[in-house]
Amino acid sequence: MAVVAMTPQKAAADAAKPATVLEVEGVAKRFWARDRVVTALSETNLTVRDGEFLTIVGPSGCGKSTVLNLVSGLTEPSDGVVKLLGKRISGVNRNVGYITQQDNLFPWRTLRDNVALPLELAGVPAGERKDRADGWIARVGLGGFENCYPHELSGGMRQRGNIIRTLIYEPKVILMDEPFGPLDAQTRIVLQDLLLSIWEKNRSTVLFVTHDLTEAIALADRVVMMTTRPGRILRSDTVNIPRPRDVFSIQRNPEFQRLYDELWTDLAAQVKNDGGH
Amino acid sequence: MTAATDTSSVASDRAQSEPARMRKGLFSADNVISIGVFRVLLIGSLLALWEIGATWWFDPFFFSKPSLVGVKFAQELANPDLYHDIYVTGVELFFGYTGGAVAGIVLGILLANWLFVAKIFDPLLLALNAIPRIAIAPMLIVWFGIGMASKMFLAATLVFFITFFNTHAGVRSVDRALLNVARVQGATSWQLFTKVIMPSASSWIITGLKMSLPFALAGVIFGEFLVASEGLGYRLNHYSTSYDTTGGITMIFLMMLIMMVLTAIADWVENWLLRWRPKSETAGATPRA
Repeated sequence: MAVVAMTPQKAAADAAKPATVLEVEGVAKRFWARDRVVTALSETNLTVRDGEFLTIVGPSGCGKSTVLNLVSGLTEPSDGVVKLLGKRISGVNRNVGYITQQDNLFPWRTLRDNVALPLELAGVPAGERKDRADGWIARVGLGGFENCYPHELSGGMRQRGNIIRTLIYEPKVILMDEPFGPLDAQTRIVLQDLLLSIWEKNRSTVLFVTHDLTEAIALADRVVMMTTRPGRILRSDTVNIPRPRDVFSIQRNPEFQRLYDELWTDLAAQVKNDGGH
Repeated sequence: MTAATDTSSVASDRAQSEPARMRKGLFSADNVISIGVFRVLLIGSLLALWEIGATWWFDPFFFSKPSLVGVKFAQELANPDLYHDIYVTGVELFFGYTGGAVAGIVLGILLANWLFVAKIFDPLLLALNAIPRIAIAPMLIVWFGIGMASKMFLAATLVFFITFFNTHAGVRSVDRALLNVARVQGATSWQLFTKVIMPSASSWIITGLKMSLPFALAGVIFGEFLVASEGLGYRLNHYSTSYDTTGGITMIFLMMLIMMVLTAIADWVENWLLRWRPKSETAGATPRA
């Protein structure tokens, strides 16, 4: 947790000269669907600062998830390059953590063993694995459930497990693909609050995809909006709301309301144009 | 029915002090006690019908009687020859079963990871599996002799295909999302295999192993019918060809008991290995071969 101690200096350095962590340069992605080519993402450029919390919003099928898949290295771009710390991404690597909408916990592993898996894969000794996993489990309020199997946990509990098993190995960039999508409204806001409190301590770089504007603005330093397919970036807005933020009352903030109205106008136009396909 | 009406009419403290099953109706599917009683009644009345029938209506020479079988069973248990035959059948079963199972699992894993070869092998395996295994039993005796080897091979060919198809399907059905999670977390190919593919396929493999167990015993016994000088199948054949129906039926009951014990052990191992599964899934949901 050296990152925590570094935070003040790092924040100061960021303010002076924001270090670029991720560069998406002229990236496009096309798929074969049956016998025709579908352009999921047309030429896209995006630069993400170190420690930035970036949310990506847009109508469904706009290529939001495609951006994350490209950054994770699970898929390759058709054109252009994705660079992490100045190096071209080719294939998956542990600098990028990926938190998906489905919790995808391993059903045959207990909560503790699920959370500790990345450490196990890296050869961390069993004792240290257990301590670190239990620490994270306690931190997100799951203490006492360490030995439960995923089917014994609620959706919200499983999603907490899904999140901390990525945080535990401290990847440089964390990708989140609608991680709170399947949860009920209350669990959702509790987990948003939890995520922010953790993030404010470790300040990793986050790319967070959502179709919920409220969530996008409440969490982000910057909101990027994408257009319907073929996806491209429509606009990018800095969120000037001071941190730490209170997700329970942020809707009453005037800056929130201003940005929400502005973004909603554009998003509504997108959704209407799309005609629901 | 009285238990149910009593409880509902009496105050709730009664309901709390009574075990849960007392509040269930006599014919409730959860009533462990009445199910147990009816099970004993069912089996008991079947045996009684057989005993009475063989005493008054039909000839015990052909159908024997539970009382005769009981006596014969006790005699057999006192006979050292029986234990030799159990040992022989047990050894054949053990090596036939494990041989077929190991070969099926290994080939299932290999072909599931090597689709090019799998597609080449596909028609051959389908053709081989289409052979009624009983039909090749006489040939196995020609090839491997009248000893234990031919019986092991017969059992192994039966077990092989069931475990092979199950393993193959299990490895192929691994959730891609789980594989991706492990890949992103930095898993090597070997780690993907040991920590994702094998645990995920384990329920299929275990189902294959369980399903093939009765086939293995049937294969061994049938092999012993054809040509053998020892083993439970030989013993059964010996009794039936000498018109000793009591001896024959006693042997059938013994084989039944052996199979029930083996199945119970397999169930226990399965439940332990797959303890991570939700309970409802453990009860049903067996993938087909």
